Amino acid sequence: MTLSTDTQTITSIAKWVSVGSATATVVIAGKVDVYSLANVWTQIRSAQDQWLKSSGSHSLTCDASNISSLDGSGIAFLIDLEEAQKKSGGTFSIVGLDTRYQPLLKEFDPISNLFPVPVVSPKRGLVVSTGMAVQNLIDDAKGLITFTGHLSADLLWSVRNVKQVRWGDFVNAAVQAGIAALPIVGLVSFLIGVILSFQAAIGMKQFGAVSFVGPIAALGIVREMGPLVTAILLAGRSSAAFAAEIGTMTVNSEVDALVSGGLSPIRFLVVPRVLAGILVMPVLTLYADIVSIFASMITMLAYDIPLINFWNGMLQIVTIEDIGSGLIKATLFGVVISAVGCLRGMQTGTGAAAVGISATRAVVSSIVLIVLVDGVFAYISYKTGF
Amino acid sequence: MDAMNHSVAAIEVQNLTVGYGSTVLMQNLDFTVNSGEIFVILGGSGCGKSSLLKNLFGLYQPLAGDVLIEGQNITRAQGADRQRIMTSFGVMYQQGALFGSMNLLDNVTLFMQEYTQLTDDQMNLLARCKLDLVGLLPYESYMPSEISGGMQKRAAIARAMALDPKILFLDEPSAGLDPITSADLDSTIQDLSRNLGITFVIVSHELASIYAIADKVIMLDKNSKGIIAEGDPKVLRDTSKDPRVHQFFNRIMSKDTA
Repeated sequence: MTLSTDTQTITSIAKWVSVGSATATVVIAGKVDVYSLANVWTQIRSAQDQWLKSSGSHSLTCDASNISSLDGSGIAFLIDLEEAQKKSGGTFSIVGLDTRYQPLLKEFDPISNLFPVPVVSPKRGLVVSTGMAVQNLIDDAKGLITFTGHLSADLLWSVRNVKQVRWGDFVNAAVQAGIAALPIVGLVSFLIGVILSFQAAIGMKQFGAVSFVGPIAALGIVREMGPLVTAILLAGRSSAAFAAEIGTMTVNSEVDALVSGGLSPIRFLVVPRVLAGILVMPVLTLYADIVSIFASMITMLAYDIPLINFWNGMLQIVTIEDIGSGLIKATLFGVVISAVGCLRGMQTGTGAAAVGISATRAVVSSIVLIVLVDGVFAYISYKTGF
Repeated sequence: MDAMNHSVAAIEVQNLTVGYGSTVLMQNLDFTVNSGEIFVILGGSGCGKSSLLKNLFGLYQPLAGDVLIEGQNITRAQGADRQRIMTSFGVMYQQGALFGSMNLLDNVTLFMQEYTQLTDDQMNLLARCKLDLVGLLPYESYMPSEISGGMQKRAAIARAMALDPKILFLDEPSAGLDPITSADLDSTIQDLSRNLGITFVIVSHELASIYAIADKVIMLDKNSKGIIAEGDPKVLRDTSKDPRVHQFFNRIMSKDTA
């Protein structure tokens, strides 16, 4: 060799040898695997890129005669070297590679397929994204309206065909959404009762009107706080649970199996759950009202309001209509929460992530609809005095 | 292939009892899988093949006995030792078990990101090679939910090969594949075994595929809770006197033999 030889020993498994600017050799030896290639790959490739920058022809030879074992990553490494040569118009050859590795190297022909040209997805303008968002909103509204129609029809059917309703599912859903929710609803209602009356009492004390706190708090509880708190808790617990359960069934094609078997998934899955929601919500709300008012009574004892005074004051202000209004509202919330949970479940896409998305959407949509229903109800109450 | 043979067996199963709680599926199993071998586990539905497989690669703890992977006891190993053994093999689950939130390329590169120091480009090239081997190169940016069940299985094989393990466990790789894809897969398995010396432990029912690729099979039986046949599948088919083995290899309905 008369030419100056520039040898860089990079590691034990690979060596870059440049012989002038036109030819170079990569000597690979030993055990080549995904771990031993760690930095070698990058170093050899940057040496190659450096060498390819010089003008003239480039001929790279890979000396593989001392490889003791080669795995898939070693083959990928060779392919990477070859592709870099091809791209810059150079040549590449491998010498001394054990014949048993040859078939695997051939598996990847043509290797250019392994180096796809990155596809740049076109950017969406503001108009297009706004349009798509509106379209999604319209589609969602359409889905909701269609679902409401189907559900109303199937609820009417269930009234006429009481025996055919799946009461087992109804009981399960009612137990899960109702009885299992008692501790958390009790806890939160108690806290609301205490906070409501305590905060009101601090202000009212300045006007010497502490005795009015109880009745006002009780009115607020039965008309608003009771139904609303229960509804939000139920949205978090049961709406998400319904969505996840039906969503998983959708992912596993169980819903498809119902449809192809000629059964209506709404009648089969949604009706029992909505009926459970209708039963459970007012009962839970009544329970929340009682716990809250009890908490309020206890709190007012600290302000020297005897229980009997609280009770009598409350009876003067809170009427049976107030309680009824709260419970009717609660029933509507129950329908909304359970139906939206089921709807989101049935709209589930594919894959595990889709179930999570459905559960999240169920909770968010339930709460939005609760606020909406509450607003409409408040307007009607204001106009009618109910 | 002889050059690839190590002094230690790829997998050595000693006195293994497989089951759940008080239910025993298989008792006192003893067998050896040699390096570079394509080893197939056979048996009727529900006899515990998949459970045995999960015991072999340490996902479930056996009720009794030991499994040695390249001489190291996986049933007793703890912490870092266990993790090192775990990275020495790849697993393809029956349903694919791809990560639904990642595309195919990311599914394959995930384990490389955790265990190697390669750059992103290098990992992507490696992953493309794996996907190419199972014929899924054009689908690298697809999500698992966007491809068919058979494709998901093949992608799962690509993921199992991510770290170029010396041992691959495949749970029913060719079930649900069309005959052409299935034959392609068989030939890929043979190439990998013959050329890279990878050991395969495969649970399978596909007789055609078993005859084509298996070096050795063991046949499990639900009632005897053990191995009822062991050896070359073609030899077993032609010479076995055991009616259950004969039935299985010759696809005879159960009512035909008393």
